[in-house]
Amino acid sequence: MRNVPISALRFQILAAILLALCAPLAGCKRSLHTRDVIEFVDKADNAARKRFAPEICGLRGENFTLSVNFQGHEERYPPSKIEMNRKLFCKEAGKFSRLRQYKLERKSMDIDLADDRKTATVKSEYVETMPYYEPDIMPLTPDDFREWQIVETRDESVVGIESGDLVFLSTRSDSVQTLTAKGEISLPYD
Amino acid sequence: MRALAGPAMMLVMAGGYLVYHLSSKEDAPSRDFTELEFAGADYQHTGSCYSLRTVLNTNRFFSDATRSWSSPREDAWTLALDSIVQGNGGPTQISQKFTFEKDGDQVHLASVKASENLPTDLKTNVDALLESPRALRSTPIERCQKEGATGYLFVAPRR
Repeated sequence: MRNVPISALRFQILAAILLALCAPLAGCKRSLHTRDVIEFVDKADNAARKRFAPEICGLRGENFTLSVNFQGHEERYPPSKIEMNRKLFCKEAGKFSRLRQYKLERKSMDIDLADDRKTATVKSEYVETMPYYEPDIMPLTPDDFREWQIVETRDESVVGIESGDLVFLSTRSDSVQTLTAKGEISLPYD
Repeated sequence: MRALAGPAMMLVMAGGYLVYHLSSKEDAPSRDFTELEFAGADYQHTGSCYSLRTVLNTNRFFSDATRSWSSPREDAWTLALDSIVQGNGGPTQISQKFTFEKDGDQVHLASVKASENLPTDLKTNVDALLESPRALRSTPIERCQKEGATGYLFVAPRR
C-alpha cells in the first residue's frame, strides 16, 4: 500500500471542506445578462399560461413577496391591497389551475440590470382574459359564467439568482379589472 | 491515511445536510404544547375538553388559509392564518393571528389580531374555534371521556 504523507491528507480534507462550503455559493459567481432575464420572463409567462402551480411557484425565491393593488370592476369599491409571501402565493397559484380558459398577453417589457449584475428590475405590462365567476355563485361547470374579466396589469419585479437559478425575488403589481359580455370573446379550452 | 478522505468527505456532506435541514425547518409548537387542553373563554378558564391540537386540526377542515407559527415569548405561540377570498371589489386578503399561551395544564387564547371587520375579542374567537370540534364531535381529552363529564360549552354524551 502506498504511503500518503499527512500533509497531503490534510490538503484533501481541506479541499473537500472548501468544496462543500463553496458549492452553494457557486450561483453567486454568475452575473446576469439581459438575454437571461428575457428567457426567464418568457419561461415564467409560459408557466402562467399553463397554469401549472408547481412551475409557477418554483420560479419564486424563498423570500418572495407580492404586493398587489387591484381595482375591481366596481369602481365604487376602493382598490384592494394584498401582501403575499411565497406560501400564500403558491396556494393561490394552485387555485389558478382550476381555470380552463385563460389568455395572457405581454404588451411590453423593460429590463434594468443592477450595476453589480446580480439582480435586474423588470417592468412589464400584461393583459389577462379569463372567466369571471361571480363571488357569491358556486360554478358547477367551467362554463358557468356570464362575463369575461380582462385584467390589465403593470408589474415591477426584481429578479435575481438564488441557489444557482434565476427567480423572482419580489413583485409589485397594479391591476385594473373590466368585464365583457361572454358572447364577445371566444377562448379555447386548454 | 488516504482511506480517511472518503469518510471525511461524507462527514462534511452529512454535516451540510444537517445544517440545511435544521435551518430550513419551519417553526411550530411541540406536541407537548398542542396536547394541552384548550381553555374556555369564561373567567375561570374552564377547560374546553379539547386539546389545542384537536381544535386547530378540526378548524383546518373549514379553511384553506396558509398557516405559519412563530413564538413571541417562552411558552407562547402565534399562529398566523392568511387567505385570499373573492369579493365584489376584487380579491380581498384575510389575515388572523392567534397567540396561545401555556398556563399550567391548559393553553389559553391570549390575543387575536385580525383584518378589518373580523372579531378580535377573545370570547368570540374562543367560541368560534370550538365550533368545529363540537360540530364534528371530535374525541375529547381523557378527563372528558367519562359519562356526564363537563367542560366549557361541553357535556359528554350519555352512553
